[in-house]
Amino acid sequence: VRVRGPARLIASGARLLLRMLSALPGRGPAHLQRPLLGPASHLGILRPAMTAHSFALPVIIFTTFWGLIGIAGPWFVPKGPNRGVIITMLVATAVCCYLFWLIAILAQLNPLFGPQLKNETIWYVRFLWE
Amino acid sequence: MGSMFRSEEVALVQLFLPTAAAYTCVSRLGELGLVEFRDLNASVSAFQRRFVVDVRRCEELEKTFTFLQEEVRRAGLVLPLPEGRLPAPPPRDLLRIQEETERLAQELRDVRGNQQALRAQLHQLQLHAAVLGQGHGPQLAAAHTDGTSERMPLLQAPGGPHQDLRVNFVAGAVEPHKAPALERLLWRACRGFLIASFRELEQPLEHPVTGKPAMWMTFLISYWGEQIGQKIRKITDCFHCHVFPFLEQEEARRGALRQLQQQSQELFFFWGGQRRWVLGETERFLSQVLGRVLQLLPPGQVQVHKMKAVYLALNQCSVSTTHKCLIAEAWCSVRDLPALQEALRDSSTEEGVSAVAHRIPCRDMPPTLIRTNRFTASFQGIVDAYGVGRYQEVNPAPYTIITFPFLFAVMFGDVGHGLLMFLFALAMVLAENQPAVKAAQNEIWQTFFRGRYLLLLMGLFSIYTGFIYNECFSRATSIFPSGWSVAAMANQSGWSDAFLAQHAMLTLDPNVTGVFLGPYPFGIDPVWSLAANHLSFLNSFKMKMSVILGVVHMAFGVVLGIFNHVHFGQKHRLLLETLPELTFLLGLFGYLVFLVIYKWLCVSAASAASAPSILIHFINMFLFSHSPTNRPLYPRQEVVQATLVVLALAMVPILLLGTPLHLLRRHRPHLRRRPAGRQEEDKAGLLDLPDASVNGWSSDEEKAGGLDDEEEAELVPSEVLMHQAIHTIEFCLGCVSNTASYLRLWALSLAHAQLSEVLWAMVMSIGLGLGREVGVAAVVLVPIFAAFAVMTVAILLVMEGLSAFLHALRLHWVEFQNKFYSGTGYKLSPFTFAATDD
Repeated sequence: VRVRGPARLIASGARLLLRMLSALPGRGPAHLQRPLLGPASHLGILRPAMTAHSFALPVIIFTTFWGLIGIAGPWFVPKGPNRGVIITMLVATAVCCYLFWLIAILAQLNPLFGPQLKNETIWYVRFLWE
Repeated sequence: MGSMFRSEEVALVQLFLPTAAAYTCVSRLGELGLVEFRDLNASVSAFQRRFVVDVRRCEELEKTFTFLQEEVRRAGLVLPLPEGRLPAPPPRDLLRIQEETERLAQELRDVRGNQQALRAQLHQLQLHAAVLGQGHGPQLAAAHTDGTSERMPLLQAPGGPHQDLRVNFVAGAVEPHKAPALERLLWRACRGFLIASFRELEQPLEHPVTGKPAMWMTFLISYWGEQIGQKIRKITDCFHCHVFPFLEQEEARRGALRQLQQQSQELFFFWGGQRRWVLGETERFLSQVLGRVLQLLPPGQVQVHKMKAVYLALNQCSVSTTHKCLIAEAWCSVRDLPALQEALRDSSTEEGVSAVAHRIPCRDMPPTLIRTNRFTASFQGIVDAYGVGRYQEVNPAPYTIITFPFLFAVMFGDVGHGLLMFLFALAMVLAENQPAVKAAQNEIWQTFFRGRYLLLLMGLFSIYTGFIYNECFSRATSIFPSGWSVAAMANQSGWSDAFLAQHAMLTLDPNVTGVFLGPYPFGIDPVWSLAANHLSFLNSFKMKMSVILGVVHMAFGVVLGIFNHVHFGQKHRLLLETLPELTFLLGLFGYLVFLVIYKWLCVSAASAASAPSILIHFINMFLFSHSPTNRPLYPRQEVVQATLVVLALAMVPILLLGTPLHLLRRHRPHLRRRPAGRQEEDKAGLLDLPDASVNGWSSDEEKAGGLDDEEEAELVPSEVLMHQAIHTIEFCLGCVSNTASYLRLWALSLAHAQLSEVLWAMVMSIGLGLGREVGVAAVVLVPIFAAFAVMTVAILLVMEGLSAFLHALRLHWVEFQNKFYSGTGYKLSPFTFAATDD
């Protein structure tokens, strides 16, 4: 396999990086076979590779979270002259922040195109994020 | 504090103040700051009002106070601040204060006059000594030695009298800039009969009045002839020269010089010009007087200021001579009415009379009163900067507390910058009670300090939106693992090293299995910060986000208008205005939001190549046309869209004609019955004159009368139609332009992100990449980081912060508030002395 000069440098650099990371305690040459382990596997944390992010779980968590703040929170505001303003603030914060988060996650739910990466980036990310 | 939802109820009260107690009552009201007096004597000029004499006396006193203050400042002392509560003094005390002040002022003037006289005397002596001491050698020598022979030929020419053969001298001093003119004039006028010599002093003398050093030119004129002498004296008088007697004999002159020096020494000693000399009489007396001034002036100023304010307020009351009392009208919050009555009762029972206040009905629009604390004050301030709300209309401020920082943060989103702003604001908030901070005079600091709670919330929300945008000083963080798997793409597409070496850029394809693993749970996926096409994705995301936020914000504004219509009893507007408005807005732009969300949910990467374009669909919706290449998002889309457009267009005539026709129809029976009914109204008006406002029918500039259904007889059809037409056009066109205006959220957040990235790439990134040795890199990083920090604060925090602030403010003032807020009211500004107390 013939590779160009600088490309060979980068490829060897990636391998050097990998060897450095694998030099951390706990892992031996078996690591080079690269079982399907997730990120931070070189640190000894065993995790299945790149678990599919679920959509339902974050939605449930954040809806509950902002729902608690926006719907349940107003019941616990102590009586006083500022009660109305504090309730307004809680509800407005919950609505704004929840809506903003929801837009961000919905926009990424069904991507129509993927990221365009440089080859150097691909070289190291393909090993780093696994 | 009360609710900020709408203005508190404000009532017009009529106060009856017996003459004996009027002053104390008003002074007590001023201390409490509860009421705003209405001017009942608006048609009377300031010079004809009842208490004009007292006001004038107060003003004269204030002039004297200013003079005393100036003297204190000239002596280099500082006036202490007044301590304790200082109520307005009763009128009889004014005379005492006046006398004392006048006495002090006179003494100070005398002392100053003495000082001036002494200084002038000293100056004269010094000048005389300088003139005498100055050597005009050759002239004098010539005058002494070659006396007779020199003079002979000169005397014969004019053929004048032969008695005055002696040489006389005129010696004096003149200012240097006048010396050439003097010399020329002397030569022209008395040529041949005088010899003048001008010489400048070596050292400047201190000017007696200004204290600045001034240079003098001494001259010695030797002349012969009495008439020449008179001419010379007239000329020197014209030039305002100081002329001194000049003795001929040298010893006599020396004796005179010695005497002068002795005199000036005594004077200097006596005057005590510098502190290290023994203090002269004058100086001691002066310090005594100034001490009394320092004691009298601060409380005196406060008291006289309050007194003047009370008299100005009393001038606004009308006099009822039959009842020997003053009648005042004031606006007072209904909640404060008991406190008002108690205050009046307390201050009038001291005098043995009773002052009363009772509420009267009023046709004018009352002022708006919204109580705020130091947190809500800044938000109410930015709403009021646009316009104070009409009486009892919905106040946008409580929602602005959150939406304003939120919209700012959408445009500013960056965790690092938000954190810096939050910490800065936190420091100001925690230090807000320290006196050093409160007393700072710098205007720019005061501006930031007054908005510290605003900055606090803005920073906090910016941290949140920074996490969502996944930007911390333009760097992305992977809190969760990324949803895009580069390895899967590489493995499945056969990206070997050789392949990668040949292709500089490669794109991940979400259609390949295992490449896209799901949406990032919190925010934007970190892989996009590594991507070259990240702007393509982010722009699409941010534009859609801006439209969604904009439509939600505007719909909320329209909904707030419902509360206004219900409160003012205009329920017909709910059906005839709010409903059409909401239908129009949501039918068109709410549908756009629906399309956006539907496409996000239902169009997946598998059909990416033929994905429908929302923009084309939206355009075709209005043009009722069809693009064959653009597939529909859902079945029967065209039918739905056509229905919505027709519905929205149908709302326009309802909006345009609904309310005017309804109002006209309701008042047509009134209009017909009006001639008969008017006489009854007039009679009723005369009968309840004692109760009605004395000032009720006078013109009030800013107070627009609210149209009540029963009372108005001025329903002009053309005006109503015109008003409604303007409102309709404004709303319908505004819907389109305002929705587009919200795209500034996208524009500014893009600008901020790009600036941040450029700063990192050009400064820090290069700095971190410099040098392989640890030592070199560390040393070089220090100035590079300094540059990075300075530019971050100056460009990204200050400039971008101001910019985002401005645009968020505009979005609130224009796009949000024009859906429901009129802002044509005026604030209740109570009569208070509070400005003088702090």
